[in-house]
Amino acid sequence: MEKKQILIVDDDPAILRLLSTNLKARGYEVITATDGEESLEAVQRDFVDLIILDLMMPRVDGVEVCRRIREWSSVPIIILSARGDEKDKVKCLELGADDYLTKPFGIAELIARIKTAFRHRGDPAVAPAQSNFNFDGLEINFAKRRVTVDGHEVTLTPTEYSLLQHLAVNSDKVLTHSMLLQSVWGNEYSSEKEYLRVFVGRLRRKLEPDPKSPKYIQTIPGVGYHLSTVR
Amino acid sequence: MASESILVVDDDRDFLEIVSLILAKKGYEAKTCSSAQEAMTRFKERFYHATILDISLPDANGTELLTRILEIHPDIIAIMLTGHSSVQNAIESLNRGAFAYLEKPLDPDNLMSVIDRGLEKQRLVLENRQLMDELERHNRIANTLLSVSQAVSQSLDLQQIVDAALERVAQSTGLEVGFIYLNDNDRLVLRGHRGLSRKLAQSMLKETAKDSGTIGRIFTQARPAVIEKLSRYTEPDLGFLCAGGYQSFAGVPLTTVPSENIGVMGVATSFTHCFSQGNVDLLTRIGREIAIAVRNAQLYEAASSAKSLKELDAMRTEFLANVSHELRTPLAVIKGSANSLLQPDVIFDEQTRRDFLVSIDKDADTLTRLVDDLLMMSRLEADALEIKKFPHNIEMVIGSLRDRLESLTIKHHLRLEIPDDIPQVKMDEGRISEVLTNLVDNAVKFSEDNTDITIKVESNDAELIVSVSDQGFGIPADVHQKIFERFFQGDGRKNGRRKGTGLGLAICRGIVETHGGRIWVESEPGKGAKFSFSLPLH
Repeated sequence: MEKKQILIVDDDPAILRLLSTNLKARGYEVITATDGEESLEAVQRDFVDLIILDLMMPRVDGVEVCRRIREWSSVPIIILSARGDEKDKVKCLELGADDYLTKPFGIAELIARIKTAFRHRGDPAVAPAQSNFNFDGLEINFAKRRVTVDGHEVTLTPTEYSLLQHLAVNSDKVLTHSMLLQSVWGNEYSSEKEYLRVFVGRLRRKLEPDPKSPKYIQTIPGVGYHLSTVR
Repeated sequence: MASESILVVDDDRDFLEIVSLILAKKGYEAKTCSSAQEAMTRFKERFYHATILDISLPDANGTELLTRILEIHPDIIAIMLTGHSSVQNAIESLNRGAFAYLEKPLDPDNLMSVIDRGLEKQRLVLENRQLMDELERHNRIANTLLSVSQAVSQSLDLQQIVDAALERVAQSTGLEVGFIYLNDNDRLVLRGHRGLSRKLAQSMLKETAKDSGTIGRIFTQARPAVIEKLSRYTEPDLGFLCAGGYQSFAGVPLTTVPSENIGVMGVATSFTHCFSQGNVDLLTRIGREIAIAVRNAQLYEAASSAKSLKELDAMRTEFLANVSHELRTPLAVIKGSANSLLQPDVIFDEQTRRDFLVSIDKDADTLTRLVDDLLMMSRLEADALEIKKFPHNIEMVIGSLRDRLESLTIKHHLRLEIPDDIPQVKMDEGRISEVLTNLVDNAVKFSEDNTDITIKVESNDAELIVSVSDQGFGIPADVHQKIFERFFQGDGRKNGRRKGTGLGLAICRGIVETHGGRIWVESEPGKGAKFSFSLPLH
C-alpha cells in the first residue's frame, strides 16, 4: 500500500524536526511548511492525506488556513496549539478541523489521533452491509461514500461522513454520546462531548433545510442523538 | 387702608378749601397748592396718585404744567379743570395724557366719580405693570438657569464644568466674585474661583473641614447663608473676601435633586445688602444645576476608571495567555523529544537519539531564558529592578563584550564606530551590556549573512547615544512603537530561526528608561534598521 503523506505546519523548527522524525519512523511520508501561506501552497501542489497545523503562525494563521482549505478540500486536519482554551478548540472544530491537540502532547497520543483521522477516510472493509440509506430527501450511497439531499450532492469531511454513516446504519436507535464518540472517534475520545456537539452542528448545517429545527438528526437532551425515520 | 393722595392746584383759595374738604370726607389724602411753581416743588418731593389741575394758572399754562408733571410721574391721574371758554385747551390736555376734564362750576358727585374711575384705572395699570415685572423676573431667572445648565452640561470634565458654571453665574448675575468647594473624602476642596486677584485667590483655603467656618456650615446644614456686611467678625474661611474689600456674601449648597449635598458655591460683591430672598433662591437653583452636572462628571470619572481597570485586567489576561503560549512551545519540544525516546514501537538510531537529547537540552535553555526574561520583565514593571550606576567608559564596556558580540555575529561583519573623546557616563555596566547584546542579536536574526552590523557611539552636551544598525529586512513604520511592547513578534525572521521570547526589546526599553534614557528605532522596509538608545550624561 502506498505511503500516506502528512503535511506538518509549524513555525518552530524544533517542533517540525520532532514531528517529522517520529512520523517518518512510523512509515509516513512527511512534508513541512513554516507558515500559513507556504502550507496552502503545499496543499495545492502535493497530494496530502492529512495536515498537522499549528495555530499561531506569522502571516496567515492556523485558523485562517483551516478555513481556506475547507473551502475546497476535505483533507483531515489536526490542530496543534499552545493555547489550551476551550473556546479556541470549539472554534477550530467548527471551522472544519477534525481534531485538536494542546502542546505539550505525547507522541503516542498524536499517532492515535492520526490513525483515527485516517479511519474516517473510509476503509471499504468497514462499509456497512446495506448499500444505501434513503429517507425524506436524504440519500447515502455507502459504497461510493456519496451523500445527496433532494438530489444535490453534499461534500462532507471524512469525520462528518463517519458520524453520518454511523447514525444512518443505526437509524431509529438512540445513540448515547459516549457510544458515538467511541465508535466514530475511538475509546480515548469517550468524554469529548464538545467534538460531538460541533460535528453534529456541522452536519446539520450541511444537510438540514433548517438547522435550528432539524428533521434528520434529532437531539435527545442529556442522552445523545438519533437519526429517526419514524414520524 | 392707606388712602390715595391727591394734589389740587388752583389759584382760587376758596375752591381749594372746598375741594379738599370733599376729598378728605371721602377718605383721600388731599393736598393743595395755588401756583404751578409750588406744584412742581411738591411733585418733585413725592408721588401723588392723582392731581386736579386748573387749566389757567397765574404763573403757567395748565397744559404745559401737565406735561411736566407727567414727565415726573407718568402714572398719575390728572383731571383738568376748565372754564367754559377753554374747552379747546382741555381737549389738548387730554391728548397730552390727562385722564379727564371737568368744567367749573364743579359737581362734587361728578368729581368723585371721575376720581374713582381714574384711580381704578391706575390700580389696574400698576397691577399689570407689576405682573409684567414679575414675568420678566421669572424669565430672567429661567434664562439664567438655562444658560448655567447648558454651560455645565456640555462637558463631563469636572474642572471644565466648575469653570463654566462660575463664568455663567458671573455673566448672568453680575456678581464680581464666585467660588466652588466640592466634597472630597470628608473635606471640602476648593475646585474653582473667578473674579479674584491672584494674591487673594492664593489666600483662599485650599480645603476646609465640613464642620467649621461659614462654608462648612452651609454644607452641613444644606442651607443658604447670606452675610450682608462682611466685617472683621467674619469667619476665617471668608477672610479673603474682607481682605479684598468685598462687602456682602451669599453661599448656597450644591445639592442634587435627591438631596445629596456635593459642595458649596459662594458669591460676593463690593456692595452691602445685595442679596434679596429672590437672589438667594436663584443662586440655590443655579447650585442645583451645577450639582447635577458635577455629579454626572464624577460618576463618569468613576465609570472610566472602572473601564481602565477592566482594560488592565484584559491586558493581564492577555499577558498570561502569552506567557502560557511561550512556555508551552519549548515544553512541547522537551516532552515530545523525551516521549519519542520512550515509545516502545520505534527504536531510533544513535544519531536520532542524540538529536532528541540535543533538542531537550536546547529547549531547556530556552525555557530558562524565558523564565529569566519574565522575571526581569515583572521586576521592571514593578519598578523593582535594581541598577547600580557607576561612571564607565562605553568603549571599555563594548570592549569587554567584544568576544560575546563577535561570536554572535560570526556570519556577519561587525563594525565599531567609537570616537576618541566620548565622555564617561553613569550606568549599570551589566544591564547596558544586556541591552547591547540583545540589539546585536536582533540585528543578526533579521538580516542576511555577510552583511554589516555597525555599533556606533555619539555624544552631545546632554546624552550619549549608542546605536546598532543592520542591513536587514527593515521594519515597517506602523510597528516602530509596538516593537518595544512585550510579546510583540516581528515577521521576517530568517528561515529556520527560532522565535525569541518576544520580551527582548521590552526589557531593553525598561533598562534604558530606568537609566533615564530613551530607546527608539529608525527603519524602512528593505533598508535595514537602526536601533538607538541614549543615556543622560548628567
